[in-house]
Amino acid sequence: MAAAAAAVAVASTSRWLRVRAGVVEAARLRCRLGGARLGRLFLLPSAAGDGAQRRHVAHFTFHPDPENRQYGQTQKMNLFQSITSALDNSLAKDPTAVIFGEDVAFGGVFRCTVGLRDKYGKDRVFNTPLCEQGIVGFGIGIAVNGATAIAEIQFADYIFPAFDQIVNEAAKYRYRSGDLFNCGGLTIRAPWGCVGHGALYHSQCPEAFFAHCPGIKIVVPRSPFQAKGLLLSCIEDKNPCIFFEPKILYRAAVEQVPVEPYYIPLSQAEVLQEGSDVTLVAWGTQVHVIREVASMAQEKLGVSCEVIDLKTILPWDIETVCKSVAKTGRLMISHEAPLTGGFASEISSTVQEECFLNLEAPISRVCGYDTPFPHIFETFYIPDKWKCYDALRKMINY
Amino acid sequence: MSRSVPSTAAQPSPWSRYWCSSYGSLNKMLLVVSRMMGSASPKPAGEVLLAARNFVNEASFDIKKCALHRLEEGPPVSAVLTREEGLKYYKIMQTVRRMELKADQLYKQKVIRGFCHLYDGQEACCVGIEAAINPSDHVITAYRAHGFTYARGLSVREILAELTGRRGGCAKGKGGSMHMYTKNFYGGNGIVGAQVPVGAGIALACKYKSTDEICFTLYGDGAANQGQIFETYNMAALWKLPCVFVCENNRYGMGTSTERAAASTDYYRRGDFIPGIKVDGMDVLCVREATKFVASYARSGKGPILMELQTYRYHGHSMSDPGVSYRSREEIKEVRNKSDPIMLHKNRMVNSKLASIEELKEIDIEVRKEIEDAAQFATADPEPPLEELGYHVYSGQISFDVRGVNQWIKYKSVC
Repeated sequence: MAAAAAAVAVASTSRWLRVRAGVVEAARLRCRLGGARLGRLFLLPSAAGDGAQRRHVAHFTFHPDPENRQYGQTQKMNLFQSITSALDNSLAKDPTAVIFGEDVAFGGVFRCTVGLRDKYGKDRVFNTPLCEQGIVGFGIGIAVNGATAIAEIQFADYIFPAFDQIVNEAAKYRYRSGDLFNCGGLTIRAPWGCVGHGALYHSQCPEAFFAHCPGIKIVVPRSPFQAKGLLLSCIEDKNPCIFFEPKILYRAAVEQVPVEPYYIPLSQAEVLQEGSDVTLVAWGTQVHVIREVASMAQEKLGVSCEVIDLKTILPWDIETVCKSVAKTGRLMISHEAPLTGGFASEISSTVQEECFLNLEAPISRVCGYDTPFPHIFETFYIPDKWKCYDALRKMINY
Repeated sequence: MSRSVPSTAAQPSPWSRYWCSSYGSLNKMLLVVSRMMGSASPKPAGEVLLAARNFVNEASFDIKKCALHRLEEGPPVSAVLTREEGLKYYKIMQTVRRMELKADQLYKQKVIRGFCHLYDGQEACCVGIEAAINPSDHVITAYRAHGFTYARGLSVREILAELTGRRGGCAKGKGGSMHMYTKNFYGGNGIVGAQVPVGAGIALACKYKSTDEICFTLYGDGAANQGQIFETYNMAALWKLPCVFVCENNRYGMGTSTERAAASTDYYRRGDFIPGIKVDGMDVLCVREATKFVASYARSGKGPILMELQTYRYHGHSMSDPGVSYRSREEIKEVRNKSDPIMLHKNRMVNSKLASIEELKEIDIEVRKEIEDAAQFATADPEPPLEELGYHVYSGQISFDVRGVNQWIKYKSVC
């Protein structure tokens, strides 16, 4: 019997080591061959897969949501096209709306504003010089005066010169003037998150820095359909909003998106998949990673996962997450940003306060390491599905 | 330019390397040819020897006058170029050009990934500045840094290996294109404009240590509209820092031309209370003379000075930018045909008999070989070890186990 137990232990260890080896191999091969190119295939790497399949794999697989017909006719759009559509709807509806930022006039570096200048004129879609602090300060001024300002920061990594304006001016305007003035008409859009080769300054996820600031709203969509609805809600919302767009999804995520405007409410998390054993929470690109982890868990461990897309980081939907944890008893939160001080720590803290007696295992956070976002080591840095799966197993076996 | 004593940096400067390689081969060639001259019929090589004997040792050239701001007089309007210097500048400019083109090629082959901002077209700036300063002076620039990195002493191998992210790279593969550093060269900075206050700080340290060193702080026409630039002008002028601000105006801040980004495109005047000069950045001699002028100004303790270099880049802003959506191909072609820095320099050398076309062609061949070798190395070198992911976040830090889900939980492979 000891031999049988030992054999089982060896078998499962060796299976795990093979899985690990496969991951390491895949990662090394990816590094050597230069990693994934956006818009190419998204094949799942099999644990002992062959070289040809591993060549062009991103760390996630985008699953489009089923077509939603309740808002009228839909059109196939990728993420940047859905953003363009949202901006188009905004400018059509609101005559005071203006779009500005670096290089937005010709369409933007990610083509989010293609065609808008021709359609609405150079008074409404214009370039700013290279000055993030100036862009946001200027946007606050426009919004305070009653117009709708949609500012673009070229990469979320460059938002820091504007940090003072956002935190000290935009967030506090209504409060300090006793509601006499506000800059609710301001929406800041920025490409966000890892992209496969962005290195230190084109891959950051700064939502945690802003989550510490009451007065602004932070939103991160996971797909084109979500992006358009959430962006329109942000623009309509009477509070300054920061809308982070996962840049790796700009071309990779394609879905049927309604052509007419529609609004997805802010501060409402969405349960993508119901489950009974573990709650998985993420936002942006990472939602697709945990979706895959959920199906891996179901398949390999027979574990039923509840997958939640948080969507709005600030103010976040405490109720949905806590209700879910009360049901399942286990929570895993995953994000690309570094672990210490990342938004997972806030969720974790609140959930343990509200659901302490429901918890079966410590809350697990699968995040990036506490280092700058690396150049060559990206594959090892990001919380991919294997790391999430591992954390999930530990929680189940706790 | 004063001949430098090799610094403690690992690599010799391109200047001394040039001495060892090119001149050595020229001497060998002359030796072979002289032996052949002893025999009956003069071979074609003999003509080269005859031509070599007909080279002049130095020539004087008229260079463009610089526009001045708050200055009584500017750099001289003529420059003397010796044969040795001319060949040196040619080789370095050609190396930078070929290195950038090789980086373009490697990027398209996906061996280099990430963001890569190429310097071809602007070679005269880095070579001209380097020719006029000491290796003990300091330079800091933005992300379009490969040219300066080479001029400041790193080898092509180390630069290309850093681009491909291998352990042979100058930052161990951890920085990539935008973060290359060497002695007295502080990079290589990704965030636009962020390097300018840092440059002022370096200048302050020079002044504080009374070393007679100065700091060249470079930025582009796009960055010139950043707030921190003006903050730095103020501090540098207030405290009379030995800081030379250099605006490399290549006419486009990514996709936005200077007229559409700046209320005043006279970047050399934007320092307001700081004197400035405007220099033709496509002419290596013009850049050199202007740099000598501003360097001596800064060293004299009069405070900061601003130098605008009017230059041009052939590639787009980065490798993801084709470079033709905001400017016409005709414009790029025109600059290439009329003001290419290498072509201008070559024509000067040949027309004034400082060198022959054959000689320069030989240098081309050597440069090509060097670049090929370096590209080979950069492609074949292994990636840095995984522990490097965790090193150098803080001083003296021990790395963590990269395999685990959480960096504080030791990964156990036993289920």
